[in-house]
Amino acid sequence: MTWAIAMAWFYVLLWPLMGIHPDGTLTFKNSLIVWGWVVGLSGAVLILRQLNETGMFNAITTPVANVRAAANRGIDTVPVWLWWGIGFAATFALPFFTGRYVQDVAINVMIYICLGLGLNIVVGLCGLLDLGFIAFYGVGAYTYGLLSIHYAMPFWICLPFAAMTAALAGCIIGYPTLRMRGDYLAIVTLGFGEIVRLLLNNWMQLTNGPNGILGIKAPGLYYFSFANGFSLEHIWLKKLTYMYYVILGLMVLTIIAVHRLNFSRVGRAWEAIREDETAAELMGVNTFKLKLLAYAMGATFGGLAGAFFAARMRFVSPESFTFLESAMVLAMVVLGGMGSIPGIMLGALALVALPEVFREFELYRMLAFGGAMTVMMIFKPKGLWPAKRFGTRSDDND
Amino acid sequence: MKKLITMTLTFAMVMSLALAGAAVAKTLNVGSMSPLTGPYAADGNDIANGVRAAIAVVQDEGGVPGFDEIKFFPQDTACDPRQAVASANKLINDEVSFVIGAYCSSSTIPASETLDEESIPMLTPASTNEKVTERGLEYMFRMCGRDDDQSVVAVAFMTNYLKGKNIYLIDDKTTYSQGLADNVEKKAAAAGIKVLGHDHVNQGDKDFSAVLAKVKAANPDVFYMSLQNSSSGALMAIQARRVGIKAAIIGQDAVYHPQLISIAKEASEGMYLTFGFIDKQRSLYKKFLMKYSEMGFAAPGAYSGYAFDAAYAAIKAIKETGSTDPDAIKGALMKMDYDGATKRIKFMPNGDSGSNYIIRKVDGGKFINYWNPETGSTY
Amino acid sequence: MEFFIQQFINGLTLGGVYALIALGYTMVYGIIQLINFAHGEFFAAGGYMGVIILSFMASMGYMETHPWLCLMGSMALTMGYCAMLAMAVEKVAYKPLRFASRLSVLLSALGMSIFLQNGLMLTQGVYDKPYPTSFTDGGFSIGMVTMSYMQVMILVMTVLLLIGLNILVFRTKIGTAMRATAQDKVMSALVGINSNRIISTTFALGAGLAAAAGIMVGLYYGSVRYDMGFVPGIKAFAAAVLGGIGNITGAMIGGLIIGMVEIMAAGYLSSEYKDVWAFVILIGVLYFMPTGIMGENVDDTRV
Repeated sequence: MTWAIAMAWFYVLLWPLMGIHPDGTLTFKNSLIVWGWVVGLSGAVLILRQLNETGMFNAITTPVANVRAAANRGIDTVPVWLWWGIGFAATFALPFFTGRYVQDVAINVMIYICLGLGLNIVVGLCGLLDLGFIAFYGVGAYTYGLLSIHYAMPFWICLPFAAMTAALAGCIIGYPTLRMRGDYLAIVTLGFGEIVRLLLNNWMQLTNGPNGILGIKAPGLYYFSFANGFSLEHIWLKKLTYMYYVILGLMVLTIIAVHRLNFSRVGRAWEAIREDETAAELMGVNTFKLKLLAYAMGATFGGLAGAFFAARMRFVSPESFTFLESAMVLAMVVLGGMGSIPGIMLGALALVALPEVFREFELYRMLAFGGAMTVMMIFKPKGLWPAKRFGTRSDDND
Repeated sequence: MKKLITMTLTFAMVMSLALAGAAVAKTLNVGSMSPLTGPYAADGNDIANGVRAAIAVVQDEGGVPGFDEIKFFPQDTACDPRQAVASANKLINDEVSFVIGAYCSSSTIPASETLDEESIPMLTPASTNEKVTERGLEYMFRMCGRDDDQSVVAVAFMTNYLKGKNIYLIDDKTTYSQGLADNVEKKAAAAGIKVLGHDHVNQGDKDFSAVLAKVKAANPDVFYMSLQNSSSGALMAIQARRVGIKAAIIGQDAVYHPQLISIAKEASEGMYLTFGFIDKQRSLYKKFLMKYSEMGFAAPGAYSGYAFDAAYAAIKAIKETGSTDPDAIKGALMKMDYDGATKRIKFMPNGDSGSNYIIRKVDGGKFINYWNPETGSTY
Repeated sequence: MEFFIQQFINGLTLGGVYALIALGYTMVYGIIQLINFAHGEFFAAGGYMGVIILSFMASMGYMETHPWLCLMGSMALTMGYCAMLAMAVEKVAYKPLRFASRLSVLLSALGMSIFLQNGLMLTQGVYDKPYPTSFTDGGFSIGMVTMSYMQVMILVMTVLLLIGLNILVFRTKIGTAMRATAQDKVMSALVGINSNRIISTTFALGAGLAAAAGIMVGLYYGSVRYDMGFVPGIKAFAAAVLGGIGNITGAMIGGLIIGMVEIMAAGYLSSEYKDVWAFVILIGVLYFMPTGIMGENVDDTRV
């Protein structure tokens, strides 16, 4: 209830700011629309919630909950790998049923899933807040871009190079930050992210500055052709559908790798560092090396995604690597549920698809997006699909 | 695991929403892409509004024969290449006949590649990077001029009219502004003007006091500020006057916007700009201006005019040929030769449309035509 | 030498603005360990509210007769307004997450920031809003060094506000309560401090200072813009951390250092890399002093 009062207070205060114009005129047309939507939607959410608490919907919710519980039991009896298999098959089949737009959005979702999983290693597993993650994405993208246009190197050979340079960048960023904790770390990573972006924008000789790099090659593929005898043919995977399968492969690779890391000895050590660094060190965990490794591993996946991004756009420019992008990737990790792979996939889907869904609103798109982000956080503070954690902690009982 | 189902459902929802946009009746679908949100929203909205005005003018003239209505699909790129490609794909789904946009060259280039795959003509009203039209794309047109054209006029003005001996340049590190400043620097040096310095600031900077103190210390005759938009232009003009720079200030078409004068007020007095010659007596210009204010938009900026001309020309092409076939549109566009709102519309083989830059000046709170590079005299 | 003095003055002005914004960050952080991304938006809201009130006063003709009174009045009103706005935002977006993980609140703040910024853009328009600046125009020069009246005003106002804040935090009862809450929420609640009220007050104070900075920046640069809060917000965050986050004196010092480094780097090195230098200094200082210049050792707070 207090929240409702607070909301009302918020509306009253927004009113003059959004309605009165400096030239003295009161043009409430625009603001009335914006304001009305905000009030209406949040009011609806609030009323539904309130009614739900008073038990108005019990007649509906109880059977629904029963059905859901039954469905959950049914779902749980099917082994997890089967669900993954079905999910993969559905994703694999997607291009056959959809147009370019959906494929394009799906490609973006998958790029961000790779990024989110990379950042998840640093933030979700190791507990280091990183606000400059997009820098690695940029390093990966520019590595492939430069190698492709200067040395005409193929995509597949460049992938490990992109991963390596990104990992190197991760170590460079990681090294001076190892002594810092919490928010000191956050600002330093933010600073590094900005430095990388400014270097990309200003180092004319290397990166061509704001003009970006043009003419990057798409991935190529050799295949056996039996058309006129037996020969080895080469094609450029320029079409969107082909790119879709490339990033699908990359995403599956990333998921498997992150999953394996998560349940390895290293992953356990990272979680120990996240929970209590001092205790972890006492238990014999080499925190210095492992934190550096977390940065490097996270950066590697970021770099891979970046290389793909460059190949997919066939053009890179510094505008793709702003702070807001870093914040978005972080938002995916937190919104989905830190440390949880399916959660991050869901988070990436939500944050890439939401602005696309809101495209219908034209100008109101980002407003709706910002509001949705806050509301989702308020209702699901642990994320959409929180990771299962081992054991209980003192703060779980709060 | 039930969330996997939710996930697929969401996918399906996105899909159906996307498909729902497809047209049913016989409509002419016009798309535009520009940054409607984010730091470049002012220019992006200018572009969308220019297209809106063009559609309204066409409808006043009786619409397009064979089409019941004209539908407009403005898309937001936020000046982010990834979102630009997404919006290009969205427009393809909406089955638009042509696209006006984008604003940032870094959005235009990847988006045009996507549109080219589906042979949809694209007319950019604002991207000045030479690469936009020089990649051999079949259906790429440009309504604004290119950087080199403006720099020629600017340097001619410096040497012939201002008789400046030396120059200081500042640009704000975008494809447009830096390309322009580099060109001016080269041509000025060739014309015997001494370049005292060339500094860069970053997009989004508000405080130019440090770099302007440098300009003041150098004491140039001409101060060339190459900026991405009018709000940076206004900020720099105010601060330049405040630190006491006496030099003649030259700007360019991106800075041209009524808000430059409304914000910088007397600080903008006497500022020169390279801008396309506008004949206020032209019928199309009058129509454009009237429609624009009728629709309740703020006074038009540089890009609204170009966007208007681009959209008007494309619709005219469809009118003339009666079809939305890309080759037909291209053929009609190439044959065009008429007075648009901002310039003479005549496309070159590569899709550029040339320019008619002159020097305009801020005088008494208005932009006036000031100096004609062809005759070398003032108006 | 004159060039240096000129740049020094420019640096002080910019640093003062950063310091005012950074104070809000640092106070909020000190009390609930939240990086309040929406803080820059309060700064922008202050700028807009200022231009609304001042334009109103100008249209009524009060600006001609009592310009300074108008300025002070509008500043007070704006600070009050933004303080209330910040309290509302805290109640709406942060309070429900008081016991959630800190990253959840961070994200809620980010969402709020996007929401407020786009709300401003949609309703106030995408074009810049001019300030009625005629009465603050002009300045004076000593030799080659020029200083505008606005710069003097920013410096004076900054110093006054900082002194006021220091008195409030270190000399009054509510300041003592704030410091107590910052140190230990549970213990301070036990001795009868209403922590919710204290948190609200902190938000209000921080936003008030940001609003004052918003008006002064608007007057100084002559216009406001819907996205004006974003870049200074990040810089102020950097300043707050540089000084030692949670520490009020630290935020002032941090703000001045960041402003000064930026101006000096632009003046003597290269202007396009000025932010790079600011961040390099930040990283360098934090490398040798991992908790900032004035910071004390923080707990092992996890994200």
